[in-house]
Amino acid sequence: MTAAIPTIALVGNPNAGKSSLFNALTGARQKIANYPGVTVERKAGQASFADGRPLSLVDLPGSYSLTPASPDEAVTRDVVLGQQAGERRPHALIVVVDAANLDNHLCFALELIALGLPTVVALNMLDLAERDGLTLDPAILSRELGVPVVPTVAVRKRGLADLLAAVDGAILSHQTQASTPSAPPPSDVALHQRARAIARAATLSETPVRRWTQRVDAVLLHPAHGFLILLALMFVMFQGVYAWSEAPIGWIEGGIAALQEAVTATLPDGFLRGLIIEGILGGVGSVIVFLPQILILFLFILLLEATGYMTRAAFLMDGIMAKVGLSGRGFIPLLSSFACAVPGIMATRAIPDAKDRLTTILIAPLMTCSARLPVYTLIIGAFIPNTNVGGSPVGLQGLVLFGLYLSGIVGALVVALVLRRTVAKGTAAGFMMEMPRYQWPRLRDVGIALWQRAWIFLRRAGTIIFVTTIALWLLLSYPKVPIDSSESQVDYSVAGRIASGLEVVVAPIGFNHDIALALIPAMAAREVAVSALATANAIEAGDDEEAMAQSLSERLQGRWSVATALAFLAWFVFAPQCISTIAITKRETNGWKWPLFMVGYLFALAYAAAGITYWTAVAFGLG
Amino acid sequence: MNAKLDSAPLGVAVRISRIDWDAMSHDEGRRLREFGLMEGIDVTPLHRGSLFSRDPLALSIGRMQVIIRARQAAMIEVAPTAP
Repeated sequence: MTAAIPTIALVGNPNAGKSSLFNALTGARQKIANYPGVTVERKAGQASFADGRPLSLVDLPGSYSLTPASPDEAVTRDVVLGQQAGERRPHALIVVVDAANLDNHLCFALELIALGLPTVVALNMLDLAERDGLTLDPAILSRELGVPVVPTVAVRKRGLADLLAAVDGAILSHQTQASTPSAPPPSDVALHQRARAIARAATLSETPVRRWTQRVDAVLLHPAHGFLILLALMFVMFQGVYAWSEAPIGWIEGGIAALQEAVTATLPDGFLRGLIIEGILGGVGSVIVFLPQILILFLFILLLEATGYMTRAAFLMDGIMAKVGLSGRGFIPLLSSFACAVPGIMATRAIPDAKDRLTTILIAPLMTCSARLPVYTLIIGAFIPNTNVGGSPVGLQGLVLFGLYLSGIVGALVVALVLRRTVAKGTAAGFMMEMPRYQWPRLRDVGIALWQRAWIFLRRAGTIIFVTTIALWLLLSYPKVPIDSSESQVDYSVAGRIASGLEVVVAPIGFNHDIALALIPAMAAREVAVSALATANAIEAGDDEEAMAQSLSERLQGRWSVATALAFLAWFVFAPQCISTIAITKRETNGWKWPLFMVGYLFALAYAAAGITYWTAVAFGLG
Repeated sequence: MNAKLDSAPLGVAVRISRIDWDAMSHDEGRRLREFGLMEGIDVTPLHRGSLFSRDPLALSIGRMQVIIRARQAAMIEVAPTAP
């Protein structure tokens, strides 16, 4: 054998527990990238055999067969056939099957075994199968399939060493025997019959199916209260984002303030000190503060996915989504878009119908993503009183936030309805999907996924937000206002003058100079609006001790009317201010046509919504 | 008896007697077969729709549960399971 590190691919059906097995084998040593030319995620990691030799593991997208129905599944096929650009053909396959669903999962396993690569079958989630009343014999299964079968319980790390030993053995013995030419592929009906026969042979005893899952589903999928439970869950999620983030936000704010003081104490007054305190710490710090809220939101979404509830939510939502020409499939990408539209738009690849998918992509930015939270939080905190509605435990601030989320959803449904009758006309979308059984979420898997999201957010804060914040700080700081001028530094600066031009356009919808100034850099990312306001505020306060002591929200209260603040919130429900979203839309729709269309219609809606909000609020005396 | 799966009562196992493969697209048919939905197989309709709609349909097949639309279920003929 050469010294090259062997590459081993994990393949299997969706819901076979592939990712947990991958996490258990590689731990945190994973790298996520994209396959070249396509937007399918490539998850790779390192592990080692018992004697310490390293091996490289690749987690392939879940698939039902070697005949792909989506770009994800095409990558799986191409990798195992050795046709995927940027990926050598794996030296061996670990085929992951759900022990409790052999009838179905063995079909794909049989197809993969027929490829002739060294193959080991991981009989995964054996504990859950036993809970379901199934007793299986791995030895019989191994004999019928003609490859080693290793029982595994990824969550408890059971069977992992045996699995890798079997892979090692399979690679070694494979080198000594010539691979047999594979017979022509059997029809899918014949394949299923064979899979069922093998599953029957390997099943020693079996009791009626999944009583537990079905009992839970009787409640959660009930046409009426199942739906109410879904709404209640989402409400709790959005209240939780507020209530549980208060303390950690305080710690981060305290930390940034301490850093600013330390810099003030060590550096002399001048360009560098201004840049660090006002530009970097003030700007980037005002965005990092929102990490707790973003993590709480992602935690909810990851838990809903890990427990298997997300598919139930798709089931419950399919009826409504069908009415606007979408499918329940679109619910998962759209719910992910509440965290961030970029993974949401990428997740639309699971939607088989092209028009259905296009519509879902176009409305994904209307879901209130986590980048809007900084803006919403700042404005709500400054202008909406922190009281409860009536005598209830429901907070008014949380209620307004819920209303903003709801506006985005209703807006998205209306837009979808219009798009499906105009630019994205097509036949009614289909909806076919497997419903996984319920599982306790694995804390470790959720933890790893959460860490990956946090890292992506921090990297964004460290790059896009960092650069735009510094650029804005420079544009705001120069040229310096003459001592004898009555103008403020912000108004006199380059950025201030550009904003004055934009102000003419946005003045009718109640936007002031502050907002015009914040909107331009916020094209890069919505949350930059907050850091832009913070930076402008810091520069304007300058050395004025009293102004410095005021928080950003106190300053805004003095400068904005309630009507302006509400219009600003309404604007951000719709405004497509996110470079990443526009870029991913271009990539996923193969051209500039749809991203431009998206930006155009969203800005039009944002302007209209802000205008109507402002004029209504002024009419009610809030101007 | 030629009942269709879209109107079959919930919670009662039925056997698929015929599927109108020609009425659906190639991909649709293939995905149904990948789920194991084919002639001679027993399925149990479990849940139908929510507050606003009678779509979709969740059914169990073997130890798996899948969701399909009523439109596809209407292309699947079912008969009572053999006693």
